[in-house]
Amino acid sequence: MNLVMIGLEIHAQITALKSKLFCSCYGNYRDLRPNTNICEICSGLPGTLPIINKKAIEYATMTSVALGCKVPDKIMFYRKNYFYPDLPKNFQITQYNVYGFSSIGADGLFELDDSKKIRITRVQLEEDPGRIAYSEEGMNVRNSALVDYNRAGAALIEIVTEPDFNDPKEVRVFLNKLSLMLEHIGVCDTLLEGAVRCDVNVSMKGGNKVEIKNINSFKEVEKAINYEVTRQTSMYNRNLKIEYETRHWDDRKKITFKARSKEEEHDYRYFPEPDIPVIVLGNNFVSTLKGYMPELPNERFNRYVSKYKLTEHTSNILINDKKLADFFESCVKIYFSPVEIANVLITDLKSFIDNNSESTDYLSNMKVKPEHIAELVKLIEGNMISRLTAKDFLIKIAESGVSPSEVLNSTNSFKIVDEKTLKEAIDTVFDNEASAVNDARNNPEAINYLLGKVMKFTKGRADPKIAASLINIKLRQSEN
Amino acid sequence: MAHLHDLLAYEVVEGIKGQQFTAEQYVGSMIKRIEDVDSKLRSFITVDSEGALSSAKIIDRKIKEKVDIGTLAGVTIGIKDNISTKGIRTTCASKILEDYVPSYDATVIRKLKENGAIILGKLNLDEFGMGSTTEYSSFYSTHNPWNLDYVPGGSSGGSGAAVAAGECTVSLGSDTGGSIRCPASFCSVVGLKPTYGRVSRYGLISYANSLEQIGPICRSVKDAVMIMNIISGKDIMDNTSIQSTPIAIKSKLGKLNIAIIKELINGSDHDVTRTVYSASEKFKDIGYSCEEVSIKNLDYALPSYYTLASAEASSNLARYDNIRYGFDFPIEEYKWDTYFSNVRKNFGQEVKRRILIGSYVLSSGYYSKYYLKARMLRSLLKLELLKLFNKYDLLIGPTMPILPFKIGEKIDDPFKMYLVDVNTVLANLAGIPAISIPVGFSNGLPIGLQIMAAPCQEQKLVDASLALEDTIDIQRRPKSI
Amino acid sequence: MISIEELKYLAEISKIDLTDDEINRFPPQLNKTIEYIDILEELASDESITMDLHEINFDELRDDVVKKSDGQPIIKNLTEEGFLRGPKMK
Repeated sequence: MNLVMIGLEIHAQITALKSKLFCSCYGNYRDLRPNTNICEICSGLPGTLPIINKKAIEYATMTSVALGCKVPDKIMFYRKNYFYPDLPKNFQITQYNVYGFSSIGADGLFELDDSKKIRITRVQLEEDPGRIAYSEEGMNVRNSALVDYNRAGAALIEIVTEPDFNDPKEVRVFLNKLSLMLEHIGVCDTLLEGAVRCDVNVSMKGGNKVEIKNINSFKEVEKAINYEVTRQTSMYNRNLKIEYETRHWDDRKKITFKARSKEEEHDYRYFPEPDIPVIVLGNNFVSTLKGYMPELPNERFNRYVSKYKLTEHTSNILINDKKLADFFESCVKIYFSPVEIANVLITDLKSFIDNNSESTDYLSNMKVKPEHIAELVKLIEGNMISRLTAKDFLIKIAESGVSPSEVLNSTNSFKIVDEKTLKEAIDTVFDNEASAVNDARNNPEAINYLLGKVMKFTKGRADPKIAASLINIKLRQSEN
Repeated sequence: MAHLHDLLAYEVVEGIKGQQFTAEQYVGSMIKRIEDVDSKLRSFITVDSEGALSSAKIIDRKIKEKVDIGTLAGVTIGIKDNISTKGIRTTCASKILEDYVPSYDATVIRKLKENGAIILGKLNLDEFGMGSTTEYSSFYSTHNPWNLDYVPGGSSGGSGAAVAAGECTVSLGSDTGGSIRCPASFCSVVGLKPTYGRVSRYGLISYANSLEQIGPICRSVKDAVMIMNIISGKDIMDNTSIQSTPIAIKSKLGKLNIAIIKELINGSDHDVTRTVYSASEKFKDIGYSCEEVSIKNLDYALPSYYTLASAEASSNLARYDNIRYGFDFPIEEYKWDTYFSNVRKNFGQEVKRRILIGSYVLSSGYYSKYYLKARMLRSLLKLELLKLFNKYDLLIGPTMPILPFKIGEKIDDPFKMYLVDVNTVLANLAGIPAISIPVGFSNGLPIGLQIMAAPCQEQKLVDASLALEDTIDIQRRPKSI
Repeated sequence: MISIEELKYLAEISKIDLTDDEINRFPPQLNKTIEYIDILEELASDESITMDLHEINFDELRDDVVKKSDGQPIIKNLTEEGFLRGPKMK
């Protein structure tokens, strides 16, 4: 196959903001009656001026820093002129890299994995347009679209990459890492409807660039690229010229289709936005911001490995689910035993949740609280209960919200450390598993099988260490 | 006593506070005056008699209750119809905004109201401020009160004519390339364009944002100072606004150094030149020094102005697409391909021309040839002027190179019309303050002197203007009307 | 110089329908202006001359605070469901 080159243009809303980019309407426009979250400014009424949100600049700067971009001392805004019914002013206030001024972030580098880095062309701050709801009913509305400005003016961060991806899978990895990063900075809740959107450009080596617009979730991006790569490859194989064009992604049919060329041909007539002066960030802006910038995923990873002594695998599982990682840290704050807490969360709690919950916000709605996990781990480490018992406890806590010690008292689930009781259990298992006992004499692996049977017989309460040593003793005894 | 409608702003406030007449009586006389003369002048687009009278009654009640009534109590103000007034139709003299009633007050309107001023109505202009005669209003031309056959200047022609004719105490205009100073000069009144940013533009319907400012048009310098001190100041709603200190009526700056801009004098009509020279002699008489200077980059100023103003206008006016506050439009016509172009053909011809020129200078391939060069010239010009201000306090010259001309005389040649702005655009390009004050007449037609100062040096403009006002008494109110 | 074709292109990107009369009358009028502003070309491009731009300090910018409106509708012609009407893209 020919070399494929893929570049991305990602739009992420700064969902963390309370207000819009240029006015004091709600940043969160979701679930509101049409055109009720608007003011004179964001609906573009004559005589109004954009009043830029300080916090939006901070979030965009953090994103730029996290993507390894340079942030200039001064930034400015540009107007991008085009007519569209969802654009109240019929121009968009955005940024543009020309004539000595750059957008808020430029020339970044983002590590995909050990062997690959993606160049970030720029990070810019801009306003979201409104939304168009097409009505299908009635002759009267045949030609007209219904426009809602509630979203108009919400703050967007646009991230543009160089065409450095050669495989759709790399794009997936990138978008996952990016989402995680945005979530860690607290810029964007990527799971909110419409919070992230992606335009993609795909070209074969030596061929023209094809842009794909309208991909409204990260999940669809890989599918759209796969479709486009297949399409272009087959055209190439049939010696058909790939035209420079814009296509749209149809997420119902899962295909890209050619946009009408006319509406995509724009002469945007960029020029500096006269209503927003050049914003002087100052020399210490970035260093000050770094001081209170939330920890990034890779920094968190390093801390988990070095300070908490977690394995890289365990660290990754926690960090890839930011809310779980936050939960983990709350537990560790109460009782410092990171390795055991991580084990309980990953092997027990997570499997339990995966089975029982579809909700993305499962942790905050759950009855199991960090105090419970901390106490549970204390019981395990104090040799009071076995790890298998702990798993049963979790289910009970999740159902009723009672504390582990209450469960312990009410169920009499103390770990069995008493050798006499254990010996009786082992005797029973040996009687029932004669052939396994024979195997075990020659094959040390089979001992684990016997131990498992003992655990099962004691309903998981047997202390596995003591039980294992008793099984070994009994095997040696019966040999003689 | 003179007619109430002839009183200056400070006289009105004194009269009402001193209970020589009530605010209601005063406002009533102004409304009567408009009824008497506006059919001849056509200064107003909208007169808010009801609103003005009810505001007046509130002031009269406050006086009885001995409650503070504000420094502008009872002063009637006419507002150029491109400044947003809550509940009062704001048209920009354009068909496209014919029925638009704003939901908010511009910052200047809010401040004026808070200080007791009374909004009397909205004044005619060239559509969206694009013009120098008020003939480009989509509704009707305004007539010069000194001679009804002549233009009052523009684009704030309604603001100039109404003040000169005593239809309102003072007025607000906006100045993008001379639109306050030109009608002030043509109507023999005082017009001040502030330093860029000194007055909030929130609510000023943009023509060319980086150039324009709101400012007062008055029959005396003292009135202009009163208005300026109310409307100036940093505004949270305008990121380009700046802080300022009040202007004093009696400052202690003393004698100032003045320079006449040679090119502006030489390029003017003979009568204009003569009158301006004689005004400069008056400055010498009162002890100011006065020399002549040259501006190297002057020839590029007007091309640069028209490039930048048109570019910004083409973008600013894109929002008039009828979607939010427009006229009724048949629902079958909401076709993607034709909708925008169809509703936007309601702009007047001059607006269309400037939008097209603006699109041209910004379109791909031409941006660096025109727009960037114009920005560069702007920087050069500002540097050159600031250098001159190191040496001189004030730069002076004629406000307009010609006398007022007859209605219809230049309407067929839009380009000739552009050339009359040559003296005034300097201050807009450089963002510096400038004032036009009456200095004489030729054949009964007014001549104005333009004085420019360094950024934020409005005090110097005012000092010189007051000094001149004391020396030469130039008629502000035509007797014929 | 602007030809009739170029004028039509400018009218298209500016979204303004021109009458036949305007299409005939505008080119000479606009060309007079363009000829006049062509003088700007004489200015040497000088990278050292930056645009004269106003500045504002970051600290002076607006805080991220929501201000609720007074509930008065600021736009009149809304549909029953609260939408505005615009042209529909095919």
